[in-house]
Amino acid sequence: MGHQSIVHLEDTTKIYQQGKVEVCAVDRLSLSIKKGDFASLCGPSGSGKTTVLNLIGGLDIPTSGRVLLENQDLAILTRSQISAIRRDRLGFVFQAYNLIPVLTAYENAEFVLRLQGVSERECRDRVMAVLKEVGLEDLENRRPDEMSGGQQQRVAIARAIVSRPAIVLADEPTANVDSATAESLLDLMQRLNQDYGGTFLFSTHDHRVMERARRLICLKDGRIETDEVRR
Amino acid sequence: MTLGKMAWRNLWRRKRRTFITAFSIGFGVMLTVTFTGTGDYGYTKMINAGAIMGLGHVTIEPRGYNQTPALDKRLLKAEQIREQILTMPGVSDAIVRIMGQAMFASARKTVGGMFMAIDPAQDSAEQNLLLRSLVHGHLFSSAEGRGVVVGTKMAEKLNLRIGKKLVYTTTDIYGEIVSEIARVVGIFETGVDEVDGAMVLLPISSVRATLHYDVQDATLVAVIINDHRRAKSVRDQISAAVGNPQREVLTWKQTQTELAGIITMDKSGNYIMQLLIGLLIAAGLLNTLLMSVLERKREFGVMMAVGMSPATLFRLVLVESFWLALIGLIVGIIITTPWYAYLYYVGLDFSGAIGEGYNAGGVLVDPLFKIRLYKESIIAILAGVFSLTLLSGIYPAWRAGRIPPVESLKVI
Repeated sequence: MGHQSIVHLEDTTKIYQQGKVEVCAVDRLSLSIKKGDFASLCGPSGSGKTTVLNLIGGLDIPTSGRVLLENQDLAILTRSQISAIRRDRLGFVFQAYNLIPVLTAYENAEFVLRLQGVSERECRDRVMAVLKEVGLEDLENRRPDEMSGGQQQRVAIARAIVSRPAIVLADEPTANVDSATAESLLDLMQRLNQDYGGTFLFSTHDHRVMERARRLICLKDGRIETDEVRR
Repeated sequence: MTLGKMAWRNLWRRKRRTFITAFSIGFGVMLTVTFTGTGDYGYTKMINAGAIMGLGHVTIEPRGYNQTPALDKRLLKAEQIREQILTMPGVSDAIVRIMGQAMFASARKTVGGMFMAIDPAQDSAEQNLLLRSLVHGHLFSSAEGRGVVVGTKMAEKLNLRIGKKLVYTTTDIYGEIVSEIARVVGIFETGVDEVDGAMVLLPISSVRATLHYDVQDATLVAVIINDHRRAKSVRDQISAAVGNPQREVLTWKQTQTELAGIITMDKSGNYIMQLLIGLLIAAGLLNTLLMSVLERKREFGVMMAVGMSPATLFRLVLVESFWLALIGLIVGIIITTPWYAYLYYVGLDFSGAIGEGYNAGGVLVDPLFKIRLYKESIIAILAGVFSLTLLSGIYPAWRAGRIPPVESLKVI
């Protein structure tokens, strides 16, 4: 494992039980994501993209093999230790935005910082800065149902990056938005990657995401088919 | 954004459900207040009525008299004991009495019964139900003399009227049979046949002389206290002050075991009823809270994915139960207050259904249904309902914390 690796999957397998049938979603997969990567997992449905993100995010545990996040084996951690890692070291962006409906844009973005116990004053500064970064400084008091899909996804990105995580895992982030919004979201994430060195790992079907990714990892049947690094 | 604020907002996502749940808690408060208030009021009335029928809330009597009442068992220096007790905190009155069995004969007939020898200077209508129930004549004016007050039923049986003679026969301290003649000066009617047909009031000094008692002696001192719930502590206080191997100090529960038994049984029934109401409400609450957790599985999954710990999620759902409990209690107070005020001040009259002379354990029961809550009962109800609501939230909260994020994120 390279010294700059943030994530390392080592001969990882994930088998799901679907009724009486066993489905191998990830098959002896080894992969490293380095600091500053802007990488995309692509492949057809059922190729294991989301499962890889779930394993890296500690949302799921491998059937065999290891998943290391910043050299820490997630399989040996307790539920609360994994929660702490997700809170402090990971950012998530979901396809369906998944904002908390009772919270405003500001409060959604602030959510992780509050879990970390950051003071109200510092929260205010950091959240306002990040909302400005994603272009939502005027919509801080709006609740999710008062915002468009693109705006909601921007809030989700703000929530994912506000705590300066080691890596942002984005599962089909452009799937539910129109082309123009998708482009602007990608611009935003690319800028965050370039300006702040944030590490991004996407799972996507969207060719726009694939075109912009500096590393494209194609999966098929739970295995890496190609792993292409672009300049 | 604090957990409390978030939980509060979560509660109002489904306003109708929150209102219905809050009303079910409020209704539970109302039912519990009614049941407990009936008990607090009814038991107090029964115990106080029992106390003024002769033995008081606390009784000082010769040791063994309670098990086998006999007139050869005397409480020596009863008047002196009374003086001492009257100074004690919580004691509103103390009355020296002689109670015993006797045969009562008129020119027409002889019947068995009980007499209560009293001093008119000590006894009053307030502390003596028989005096309160005088329907003809009056009470004898002094502790001496030959006056007697009988119940209506006994007057009927013996064909007695005011001014008629009555002979009572009993045993004195030596076990010898003694008789004395008396003249009817008053007739009472309590409505309880057992009392009206068997009880007789006599002047205490005359009875002392008949029984060969000393001037200070009696069979008991009946102590009336301000709050019947303090009977045990007052008993202990009196026992410490005047107790000795020849005397015993007893509470109404020990002297009126039948009444105490009826109250205990009724209380148990009341508790079971309240427990059932509580369980029904808790089941409803559990269902509501569990439903609200299960329909937010995805949201909880997201919260956990972004770093909320299962313990924090558990707390969040518990805080939602807390708010629900608080709203439920407020609704409960709002809907219960007018109901309580009506039953407290006006009450429901059941005399048509149970009649005027209904008694329990020989104690007259008021057919006017009223309620009254003790302070402790109010606290117990509020704390009970509040705790029940919180407890109902524990399982849903635990379930919320156990939801695997990856599973819940699959829920659309």
